[in-house]
Amino acid sequence: MAANNQELQNLVNYGLVKAHVAMGLIFFIIVALMGFLYSLQLDGIYPLAGIEFLSPGRVRMIHTAGAAYGFLVNMFTGLLYWAVPRFTGYRILSNALGWFMFIALQAAVLITVVAILFLGMADNVEWGETPWWLDPIIVFWLLLHLLQFGAPLFKASQRGPLYVTGWYIAAMLVWTPLVVFMGNLIPRFWAVGSGAGAVQSTFIHDLVGLYVTPVAWGLMYYFVPVIMKKPMWSHGLSLLGFWGLAFFYPMNGVHHFLWSPIPMFAQYSAVFATVAVEFAVTSVLINFMMTLRGSAEQLKYNVPLRYMYTGAIFYWITCFQCAFHVTLTFQKVIHFTDWVTGHAHLIMFGTFGLWVLGMAEYVWPRLFGKETMYSKGLSEGAYWLLMIGVLAMFFDLTAAGLVQGFDWIGLNPWIDSVNFSKPFWYFRSIAGIMMITGLFMYALNFYKTATAKTGLTAELREA
Amino acid sequence: MGKMERFSFVALVAGIIFFLFADFISWALPMFVLKDIPKKSVEDLAAEAIAKNTTAWSDFNKLARYYPDSFKKLCEYTEAYSGAGDVIKDCKPNEKTFAKALRIGHRWYIAEGCWNCHSQMVRPVSNETLRFGIPGVSNTVSYPSEFQNELQAPVLWGTKRIGQDLIRVAAVHDVSWHVAHLYNPQSTSPGSVMPGYPWFFEKDKNGNIVPNERGIALLTYVMWLGSWEVKPPKSFRIETAEK
Repeated sequence: MAANNQELQNLVNYGLVKAHVAMGLIFFIIVALMGFLYSLQLDGIYPLAGIEFLSPGRVRMIHTAGAAYGFLVNMFTGLLYWAVPRFTGYRILSNALGWFMFIALQAAVLITVVAILFLGMADNVEWGETPWWLDPIIVFWLLLHLLQFGAPLFKASQRGPLYVTGWYIAAMLVWTPLVVFMGNLIPRFWAVGSGAGAVQSTFIHDLVGLYVTPVAWGLMYYFVPVIMKKPMWSHGLSLLGFWGLAFFYPMNGVHHFLWSPIPMFAQYSAVFATVAVEFAVTSVLINFMMTLRGSAEQLKYNVPLRYMYTGAIFYWITCFQCAFHVTLTFQKVIHFTDWVTGHAHLIMFGTFGLWVLGMAEYVWPRLFGKETMYSKGLSEGAYWLLMIGVLAMFFDLTAAGLVQGFDWIGLNPWIDSVNFSKPFWYFRSIAGIMMITGLFMYALNFYKTATAKTGLTAELREA
Repeated sequence: MGKMERFSFVALVAGIIFFLFADFISWALPMFVLKDIPKKSVEDLAAEAIAKNTTAWSDFNKLARYYPDSFKKLCEYTEAYSGAGDVIKDCKPNEKTFAKALRIGHRWYIAEGCWNCHSQMVRPVSNETLRFGIPGVSNTVSYPSEFQNELQAPVLWGTKRIGQDLIRVAAVHDVSWHVAHLYNPQSTSPGSVMPGYPWFFEKDKNGNIVPNERGIALLTYVMWLGSWEVKPPKSFRIETAEK
């Protein structure tokens, strides 16, 4: 690791980190507002009814596609621009390429929004609603991404063994172009019917499993030891977690379509792999919890660290839940219900959302040469609103899912299940308001930190 | 241990070999198993519907008869994205116009995100055959061959059920019910949270609100769903409507 500030300045391109994180945060707010707008439809108070371009069905696709490409890809890329050069000690391939990729990514997201809302060009692949003619361009972007971050990782691994963050990111760089190509183009052009369904389900899971999960864990392995200023508890558990994830995660996809006309052996293999991946996840989590031992009081005043550990616990909850609800028995009740929606929100917002917000909050003041965020109060308030909001939404939707599932089994008139769900849907909107308020507070804090004139300094609480 | 921590080793073993192994199990093998089922193009589906004289074909004829102006516009509708590139000169219900309507209908079904709230898969659990199947007519669990066509690439199995499953919907309500439902869902299903889709409708010369060319296409697609099943008994729709 480079010794002084000037060397770090040369190593990390601060402009790219700032631009990506800022755009990611802006898209996060837009995506959350879109989700809130859609939830109002379920409450029967949609404010923009009858406007073709803002029809709830289209807005819903912006919510998922925007979360994938606008929010997560921007945030993760920004944080990679910070972390990768720092732990490898080598610069990214090219700054000019970085700026080109930044502009291309924002253009791709905006084109997607225009195509889905105004032109009605969407794909029926969840997370992959981008029109199919944009998908090869996204794959090309991802190959550039591979070169950009692959270069420093490769150089570093010539010198000695790569740090655990490097394994996750190296694997992700190879997986993501494969996954996006497979999920968006194969089911459209080279497969139909149940075969296409099998590919598509693999994509739904693998975009989460092979892009989001490895980057997020990789960044966690970088940021948590850096913040706590001590090494990870066990190198062996790091290896176990990574190779467990790499082997079992890609097979999980078909668990999205249990009881479907996909051949049963594929469904069984997905169930088996999903339960197996739970052990890998638990080993990773044990590693992080044991690293915390002796430093737990840092959680009291270090908000970024608290975001990360809250997210880690949410991650374990969702994975534990996953191991149960992918079994054929549970699927009978909860598939197609709000249970799954609650699960998706806890993993995407509760885990990965909180992680990137924590990491960004750690990085942001340093990008502007300041020691702390502008306001401690805004920082704490945002944390509690986001955390309680997402947890409330999770419990609410889980309960709603059970109500819907048992109601459907009971063969009541369909409208009953809609009516029974309405109180849960109102509550979901309220939880959504909490989450969005938290996001606005968080963003305001970021804006103030970036523009504050005087240097913000930390009060020392601990030696 | 050192080797497992190299960029090239990780990228090769975890990134490529493990990924391809998983893909082989979870989608190449299922595709081999399913490869004997014939793949149908949209034209095949249209020809089949006409040859078997299914409800979809008669519903399409009805739409053409009720809304002749919109039907004419459907023949003239061109757009590359849905694969409906040609103007059809002999504008009457035939295999060509039916296929075109299916393509455009399928495209707008996806564009409006219908698949976010309506699934297209009847599973052998949770009494779904009783709720979404055609009772007394056939065992209507979803089977692979009914999805083996161009309109299920990618599949439309759905992600969430807020509304009902649609794969057998042709057997449940007739086309006029669907016209009313698409314009204002609460008029046919009180308490529904589905939004209305007024942009699939227009005012005709007499001031009546009628489906436009996109509306006809979407309704054709929806009425086609499930029509390949054995024809439901005549009284069935009435019974279901009364339930």
